[in-house]
Amino acid sequence: MQQEFHEIFVKYHEIITLGVYGTAIGLMLIGLYAVLMKKNLVKIVIGLSILDAGLHLLFIGIGYVQGGTAPIFSPGYEDAGSKMVDPVPQALVLTAIVIGFAVTAVALSLIIRLYKHHHTAKIDQIKSLKW
Amino acid sequence: MVITPIHYIVVPLLAAFAIPLLVKIHKELPRIIPGLVMFYNIIISIVLMQQVNEFGYVSEVIAGWKAPWGINLIITPFSGFLVSLISFMGFVIWLYQYRFKRVIDVGELKSYGILQMMMITGAIGIIITGDIFNMFVFLEIVAITAISLTSFYRHRDGAEAGFKYLLIGGFSSTLILLAILLLYTQVGTLNMAEISEKIHLVPQGMKATILVLFIVGFGIEAEMFPLNGWAPDAYSQAPGPTSAAFAGIVVKAGVYGLIRIIFTLFDIEGAFDFLIIGGLVTMIIAEFSALKQTNLKRMLAYSSIGQMGLVLIAFGIGTKTAVFAALFLMFNHAVIKSLLFMTGSILMYNSKDKTISTLNGMGKKLPFISLLFSLGAFAIVGLPPFSGFWSKLYILTAAAGEEMILLIGAILAVSIVEIVYYFRVVSKMYFAEETEHITIFKPSVNAKIAMGILGAVILIIGLYPDLITGYLHNAADMILDKASYIDFVLNSNAPVQ
Amino acid sequence: MKKVLVILLLAALGYFLAQTFLEIPLGENRIGDINAQKPTAAGYYLSNTKEKSKVANVVTAIVVNYRGLDTLGEVTVLFLATTGVASILYRRKEEEEEVERLNLPSSNIIRTGARVLFPAITLLGIYVFIHGHLTPGGGFQGGTIVATGFLLMLISYKGFNTNHNIMTWVESIAGLSFVLIGLWGLITDHTFLGNIPQIGELNKLLSGGLIPIIYIAVGFKVAVELTGILDILLKIKPKK
Repeated sequence: MQQEFHEIFVKYHEIITLGVYGTAIGLMLIGLYAVLMKKNLVKIVIGLSILDAGLHLLFIGIGYVQGGTAPIFSPGYEDAGSKMVDPVPQALVLTAIVIGFAVTAVALSLIIRLYKHHHTAKIDQIKSLKW
Repeated sequence: MVITPIHYIVVPLLAAFAIPLLVKIHKELPRIIPGLVMFYNIIISIVLMQQVNEFGYVSEVIAGWKAPWGINLIITPFSGFLVSLISFMGFVIWLYQYRFKRVIDVGELKSYGILQMMMITGAIGIIITGDIFNMFVFLEIVAITAISLTSFYRHRDGAEAGFKYLLIGGFSSTLILLAILLLYTQVGTLNMAEISEKIHLVPQGMKATILVLFIVGFGIEAEMFPLNGWAPDAYSQAPGPTSAAFAGIVVKAGVYGLIRIIFTLFDIEGAFDFLIIGGLVTMIIAEFSALKQTNLKRMLAYSSIGQMGLVLIAFGIGTKTAVFAALFLMFNHAVIKSLLFMTGSILMYNSKDKTISTLNGMGKKLPFISLLFSLGAFAIVGLPPFSGFWSKLYILTAAAGEEMILLIGAILAVSIVEIVYYFRVVSKMYFAEETEHITIFKPSVNAKIAMGILGAVILIIGLYPDLITGYLHNAADMILDKASYIDFVLNSNAPVQ
Repeated sequence: MKKVLVILLLAALGYFLAQTFLEIPLGENRIGDINAQKPTAAGYYLSNTKEKSKVANVVTAIVVNYRGLDTLGEVTVLFLATTGVASILYRRKEEEEEVERLNLPSSNIIRTGARVLFPAITLLGIYVFIHGHLTPGGGFQGGTIVATGFLLMLISYKGFNTNHNIMTWVESIAGLSFVLIGLWGLITDHTFLGNIPQIGELNKLLSGGLIPIIYIAVGFKVAVELTGILDILLKIKPKK
């Protein structure tokens, strides 16, 4: 199974590279587009989350090592230390996801308050948000 | 137990996690505990600064893993100076906000105490950590608390200001994370000393990309133009003590991040010119914006941005005198601008519609506060007997040393603008006819003591600048000395006990 | 007009990002020799975790031990987000009585399904954070799974209320135990978060010294905090 995947990876290396980076960067651009263009505050926050998701995918993609297995010394893989993917980006992305979640939670609570105040979640109808 | 740098982080954390339980015992505890923590921070600073004087640095590793592999905390003269400054300011701000009138409900008090304390802890964390990703985590702690505190008051437009800050902050954290990812792929480490050691292996183009991402990301916290859209709103909507903390603490941490990255991590010469230009634009635009503000806190916020521009210029000149001057200015800015925000928010409570024009006759009604505000105003524009004078003088000397005539002209011109808008306020307070009756909100004794301390510091440092210049010279040496930073972190892993 | 400008800007940005990342080949081994004299960070973790930490999951070892301060910061960020959300949406006592939880009508099928699934989801979450050092997952992932169980109950049952008192206690005790375990290392071993890896053997539930204990505390904390945030965010409907 692992061997098969390895062969496929070598054979279609360029396509897979484009696919991984393209998906991640594409997601980031979609998120940025939503942040810049959308009028609804909730959609802006969704955009921010998509932007984050793209970046997290990049982390995971970068951490992959050709032919590597998961960085866990599970039974049968006790000596596979040199054949594992990079564990550091995986640990970092965990932190990044949690931080992204915290920011989203605070953003949503701010939106609830803005909505109560202005009875709208449209950015162009909330005066002091225009700049 | 021996005092080590980790105490800066662990003690506030213990307090923060315990406050929700302790509030059940007595409802005054969330007010008192942050004060104790801040006081303990000062003790840590004193002990550690003595060690720094003796050994040159204090270093500690987390979980026993040596520096390039585990996370290390390092206090050099530079970071030690900033951390001590932040500890001192944190305590003074706590003293000022203790018995803060506006916060009455226990639930609000609990959140406020935790958030304010953790904002200061986050700023300290940014400064003492030796790991780039750890710095990012602390930066996010500061961002989350700052956003929550900005929108603390429900009757103001705090939520808008907070949301603005959140969008810009979210964007900045994405950029920093991207930069960290790229850097990691290039050098395979996250330790700043090891990055600095290996940075010459990175291709030029990639290096420039990473540096730009970092500068934009940290420039947002350091209020660099055009990334400072959040600052005036956040400063003016946040509670008074929080505005003081933004000026005295948060911005310092942002500048530290920027400086650490440009001076230690990278070896690109062009970054210094970038700092000068960025700082210059920031300063000029901010000071002219300050001129046309009608809200006192917004005016102070723009002035704060302008001052940070001046700090960036001084760092950008990059000579020893200039770096020393920049550090001196950071110290002055922290003390003076915090004093201005403290007195300014009390003046604002007493004005009718929070504009400068309603300050008429304040000099008679609140003589002590007005006097301190004027003191701060004179000090920040750089009048001779006060501490602000020295920092400006040193910056001009440094610029003259590099024969940057245009820069000197710009700084002097901007100083005149500063004088105009600060003196407008001061003259209104003392010389304008009192037009309307205003309700008087008397500040409590502890707030007066806090402001008095800051006023005294401004006077004493103004008269005897030698009291801190020795430390600052050490710190300036340390910033420019990349090799010994790397040596401290990587080659001497035994924690100095 | 603005749309065209933004799309052009994004296209330029995308091109720039693609150019940058195509310089970094996907799947390239950047770890290097893990047994070298001075390995890279990743290499050091891969070669030392098994012996020195006795933890099977290297990611867990990094998250909890090698980069433990990050995780402490992460837990703090979550804690502060909860505090921040609570302070932003804070209601005084008298206002508290004016609001109730937002409730969408839920059918019998959803309610029964939720009741059946809730214990299973909670159990899965607890399994994930107890086995964080052996299998993929850990405190954050497990905590999130538990919180989804609570979310299911919150949105399908009108009368389902979380006990704030218990949540405060669990949250504080979990947070305090993380810091205190770290401090214990500081006292005995002179390093914060210092581990005692001698306990247990690799790939057994009892292994890795303090790492699983910290991760379990994190799991409880994350579960409670996420539930707390969801609870606050759902409580927005003004009473008539």
